[in-house]
Amino acid sequence: MNCREFDPRLHAFVDGELDAGPMADAEAHVSTCPGCHGRADGERRLRQLLRRQPRETAPAEFRARILALARRERTRKQVRAWLGTPALAAAVLLLAFMLIARSLSTGGHESEIVASLVDKHLAYAQLEGPAEFASTERPAVAAWFRQRTGLRVPVPDLSPAGIQLVGARIAEADQHRVAYLLYEKGHVLMSVFMVPEVGRRAALAGRSMSFRGQEYLAQERQGLRTVSWRDGQTLFSLVSTLDYEALLECAEQLRAERAREARL
Amino acid sequence: MLRWIRDGGQTSEFEGVALVHLDLLYRAALRLTHNRAEAEDLVQETWLRALRHFDQFDPGSNCRAWLLTILRNAFLNRLRREGREILESDMAATEAGAARLEEASVARSSPEEDFFQTVLHGDVDRALKTLPLPFRLVVTLADLEGLTYKEVAQVLDCPIGTVMSRLSRARQLLRKELATLAREHGYSKESR
Ligand SMILES: [Zn+2]
Repeated sequence: MNCREFDPRLHAFVDGELDAGPMADAEAHVSTCPGCHGRADGERRLRQLLRRQPRETAPAEFRARILALARRERTRKQVRAWLGTPALAAAVLLLAFMLIARSLSTGGHESEIVASLVDKHLAYAQLEGPAEFASTERPAVAAWFRQRTGLRVPVPDLSPAGIQLVGARIAEADQHRVAYLLYEKGHVLMSVFMVPEVGRRAALAGRSMSFRGQEYLAQERQGLRTVSWRDGQTLFSLVSTLDYEALLECAEQLRAERAREARL
Repeated sequence: MLRWIRDGGQTSEFEGVALVHLDLLYRAALRLTHNRAEAEDLVQETWLRALRHFDQFDPGSNCRAWLLTILRNAFLNRLRREGREILESDMAATEAGAARLEEASVARSSPEEDFFQTVLHGDVDRALKTLPLPFRLVVTLADLEGLTYKEVAQVLDCPIGTVMSRLSRARQLLRKELATLAREHGYSKESR
């Protein structure tokens, strides 16, 4: 191979895209020709520079949205497959419309928040490392929230119930900034959401449950159990596949931790 | 892979093969749009299209090239919708012209090789932004993301020969731009 033959093969040579025969010929030429050697070297350095560029990753919030999107699409498909006839579809549309109208008139706003919190839980449960700040240390997690948001977030010790702290996130749900604690029990994830200043304009939806003198609202969504309550201006919501008893126990601990913090 | 088991709702087959490429799609979209919100929107559109046409995906074939093809088409459709038309067929003419230009000006001299020493953080981003779309796309795919020529050809829907000539031209332009930026740094250092 001479210089004129090497020239059009320069990039493929540097990229390792030549077949074995031409590759060997090109190597032989480069080893004897300083000019082509220099050019190949220059291309290689540019290539290395480009390969060394920082590789950004999709923001966790966006990733979660993408996952939720896929899930919604799946449900839509199932519903479509399930609805055979147009008449039936129309009936279901009407029903859906009535349900939407109903939820708008009674606590629609906060059910929407709970729905988006459930979406978040589902999305983050699929990630290998769902915590933005991963730590099993309660004071460290509380300090992280204070530093990032100025919020005092109660981080209860749930270890007596076998539930371990994993870390924390700051999330957005329904235009609210949400403090988000992650715990796990074995391989089950539990999300603790705190939505400050949620406003008083609507009542929480769900079945009411009483536990040790406190009132909670329970809702099942997408195979998950949620327990929610308000404390002053803050909405609290626990989301997990854990049973209600375990969730209510955690809720109680969280209330106690918050009361303890308030006294300090 | 999944640490937490949840009952009800398995991860779909689509997510199983596509999710590992989400970051790649996001980075490519950023290079195309130069804007986070727009990039997210583009990836979201890509994701939905891929999901809806997943039955057309051959499980034995290359998933990242398939997803990137959808991304590229979605992006080009957007440009067309917005009237920011960049016809890729115009590229052929541009490339022919560029090739002649290349032969005339022996611009690939070696003194500028030294500029690698002075490339600063952010220079590559700036230089890439100056490249016309088709060149930016080919460098993003081949150099930043490490796709093979064959994969790039699939995404761009063109012959491998075109990938090679476009890549060679793109790198030349990029090199020139980086050298200019490096000279600017050198100049500003001397003037201080
Ligand atoms: Zn030579």
